[in-house]
Amino acid sequence: MNKEVAVIGYAQTLYEEDADASREMLTLRAAREALVSAGLKREDVSTVVTATNDYLDGRTISNMRTVEPSGASQKDESKVEMDGAFAALYAIMRILSGFHDVAMVIGVSLASVYATYLPGIMILDPTWDRERGLLNEVSAAALQANCYMREYGVSDEQIASVSAKNLDNAARNPLALRQMPGLSVEQVLDSRMLYSPIRELNAWPATDGACAVVLASGKTAAKAEKPVWVKGVGLCHDSYLTERPLAVMESLKLAAEACYKQAGITDPASQIDLAEIHENFAHEELMAYEALGFCEEGKGGELIESGITQIDGGLPVNASGGALGANAVCATGLARIAEAAMQVVGEAGDHQVPGVKTALAHGQSGPCAQDNVVFILGGD
Amino acid sequence: MRDVAVVGVGLSKHVSKRRDVNIAELVWEAVSAAYEDAGLTPGEVDGVITGNMPAFEGVNLPECWGAGHWGTYRKPLLRITTGGTTGGSVGHGAFYAVASGLFDTVIAIAFEKQSDGDSTAGLNTVILADIAALLGFGVDPSLLLAFGGGAVGIAVYQASSYMKSSGCTTHHLDKVSVLCRTNAAKNPHAHLQQPGLTPDDVAKTDLMQYPLRFGHVCPASDGACAMILTTGERARKLTDRPAYIRSVASCSDEGALIGIGGSGTLNVDPGRQESCKLAAARAYEHAGIKDPRNEIDLAEPYAPFAHQLLMFYERLLLCDEGEAPAVLNSGSMEMAGELPVCPSGGVISTNAIGASALERIAEAAMQIMGRAGEHQVQKDVHKAVAHGWGGMVNLNVVAVLADTPRG
Amino acid sequence: MEYKEETTSIQGTWPLEQWRWKHETSVLAKKFLEALKDKKIIGLKCPGCGLVYVPPKPYCRCLSIPDEWVEVKDTAVITTYTFTGSWSFGGRLEGTGAPLVIAGVMYDGSDTQTLAILDGVDPDDVAVGKRTRVKWPENPQGGINDIMHSELI
Repeated sequence: MNKEVAVIGYAQTLYEEDADASREMLTLRAAREALVSAGLKREDVSTVVTATNDYLDGRTISNMRTVEPSGASQKDESKVEMDGAFAALYAIMRILSGFHDVAMVIGVSLASVYATYLPGIMILDPTWDRERGLLNEVSAAALQANCYMREYGVSDEQIASVSAKNLDNAARNPLALRQMPGLSVEQVLDSRMLYSPIRELNAWPATDGACAVVLASGKTAAKAEKPVWVKGVGLCHDSYLTERPLAVMESLKLAAEACYKQAGITDPASQIDLAEIHENFAHEELMAYEALGFCEEGKGGELIESGITQIDGGLPVNASGGALGANAVCATGLARIAEAAMQVVGEAGDHQVPGVKTALAHGQSGPCAQDNVVFILGGD
Repeated sequence: MRDVAVVGVGLSKHVSKRRDVNIAELVWEAVSAAYEDAGLTPGEVDGVITGNMPAFEGVNLPECWGAGHWGTYRKPLLRITTGGTTGGSVGHGAFYAVASGLFDTVIAIAFEKQSDGDSTAGLNTVILADIAALLGFGVDPSLLLAFGGGAVGIAVYQASSYMKSSGCTTHHLDKVSVLCRTNAAKNPHAHLQQPGLTPDDVAKTDLMQYPLRFGHVCPASDGACAMILTTGERARKLTDRPAYIRSVASCSDEGALIGIGGSGTLNVDPGRQESCKLAAARAYEHAGIKDPRNEIDLAEPYAPFAHQLLMFYERLLLCDEGEAPAVLNSGSMEMAGELPVCPSGGVISTNAIGASALERIAEAAMQIMGRAGEHQVQKDVHKAVAHGWGGMVNLNVVAVLADTPRG
Repeated sequence: MEYKEETTSIQGTWPLEQWRWKHETSVLAKKFLEALKDKKIIGLKCPGCGLVYVPPKPYCRCLSIPDEWVEVKDTAVITTYTFTGSWSFGGRLEGTGAPLVIAGVMYDGSDTQTLAILDGVDPDDVAVGKRTRVKWPENPQGGINDIMHSELI
């Protein structure tokens, strides 16, 4: 894509364990700040796409309460019931169609209102998996992690070093929830075991928070102060977790291929300056390295050991702390877009990586990263 | 913008309880019919847009385990859900997917298998969150139930409000039910088929809550709808008469619940439906339609309750406000009339909630393509409007279809 | 081949009792309910567009935060209504028993509506646009029930 759509504004709320605010107020905060960031008013927005989930909200039609606080009143509003990164893709479609000029995308989640893994259980196949009580988000991830580790000889230490990297990065991000400066691999391996091999520090923290991104058509974005152009997008859905090989992220690979084709990326490891990956669990980041073509299949563990993906490495991944640092479900993938854009603009403060021209943002949805969406963002 | 056209439509059988199939199989009935109708195979589709109301079946993200059965192996998939309008929002999503240029051919899939869950309980979860807070203030829970009462609870306020402002009487409501249910008798996919139904029959049904009788209210159906959209160019290769979607528009009023928990403003009068007028005006404008009253040949408004057929006929700018009851009496809404309304039988005859608003677009497309069989209207349909209503009485979605592209 | 028979049902639950909802209104609601003890109805006015929210609401559609407390009257206009009774929802004894008349009312000075019961009112006398007044209890308790009942004026 050549200057057809751009991110022109973004905002994230503080990520908290138990926010003293309702879902509506978090939405309002993110929406207001994103408009300020874009230098626009509510009147300039023509369409609003929110990302929420009825089961996370604990009620049906979860978007009906976000109409006013997202600024969608009397506007063309819709809801994507996946992560906000997918909502961003829908907003991009709406802009590319020529029907809309400026879109507001908001993902919001309050994990403090439900038992952490309960809504995830409701996603499982109701016939075979849900009522047996064996699978939940963590046990499913554990099955995937073991499958991946066994297939490629990836070690616990290599996976733990993803957590150590991201949670140390999170300490530089004032909005992140789980900030652990100087966290060592040993400390990660000493954290509480949830489902082997997933330990507490390998899994996302239950988080309250919201993220908003303002997207605009090429014409409007050209007038914006700091447009970050969407150079490519890719989307793919995989089979249910019991019906596919778990050791590879095939749908992420296909999504990335589609995205790279649009963005003209032929050598991702050298052409991409920074990546924000939606890793709900530490091993997913290693699997994503491979699917995104940062290294060969099975070499994710070696890549993290090489140090390239550290914040001062050649291809920093999750300088923000990623989903391990803060995971407001439905806002997490969208926050990757906001973080990637922030890095391109140069507004990332303490976790800014110098000279980011091309950045990758990734979002996922469904158990064991069933659905994946990839964006390539860049300045001029 | 690229031209977008419907090239295939599929509907499942709709009844109260589809005990012969599970969710994935029910959806496959519609999906396979759509592929067959379009003359395409699943491999020729680039993406899937899907949605339902998950609280009604009691399952979250059913496509996670269901989509594998719909010929969508490793395809891009987007899940869009907006309450009662879900099907319409799914249709809009499919439209935007093709119009954006990111996808060439997509399938829109919307469904509801209400017999798997409890829809009124599912719907009441909308207000449960508010009730939970109110109980803390010492409010009598039985009273709140009278205020809530699922979709009917909201609809009665809307009906009485609309009737007061328009002069619509209960007799008009009876006639609307007759219009729809006798049309439904000609549609093999419709749920409640009542050939020979008379207004007197409807008037004799039990009162549900003033002013609505059982005969004025939709059934709860199990059913699915699928629709295949592609570029105008490809559509012309696939069929002689594709149904172009010229435009889509949606509009949200405030998500107000009537009552203590919700403080609406524009939405104070649930019969006003300002957002429907706005969405319709935007959709007509994008579609290049200047005079909808004369240009639109057929309307599929989303009317699970009898008064809504008249109310939304007005809010879709097809006549002046308060005029729809007279239009109904004139006979122009009938299948042989000047502007047939809901020849499919409408939502009042068939309501698989998540699917219903997609079925409105699909039915309009079928009429334009001349594929509606026994319920094909007499006149040639060149331009049609399809509508969806839902959210929390606050969201309206409108699509304008035609037999020619926008030009 | 296809397997054709009845589907199997597997019981599942959505344990909503394990959800708790966060409402922003506790501070606002306390002030609102407290005022009812003095037979006063108060609401919040939006600095952006001037709308008055009764009961108070912490956000406005214009994305401003309503912050000015204003008192509204206990007289109101009916915006919509219905009536119900023991015969509703499928009962056959239509017209027997005293109907419960529920109306949407917008207090004078407010831009939002709330629900009220119209006591002892014949449904035929109710109409959109007619006016009502709150029937205050002798000793308001500072609960929403204090303004649950209204009469036609």
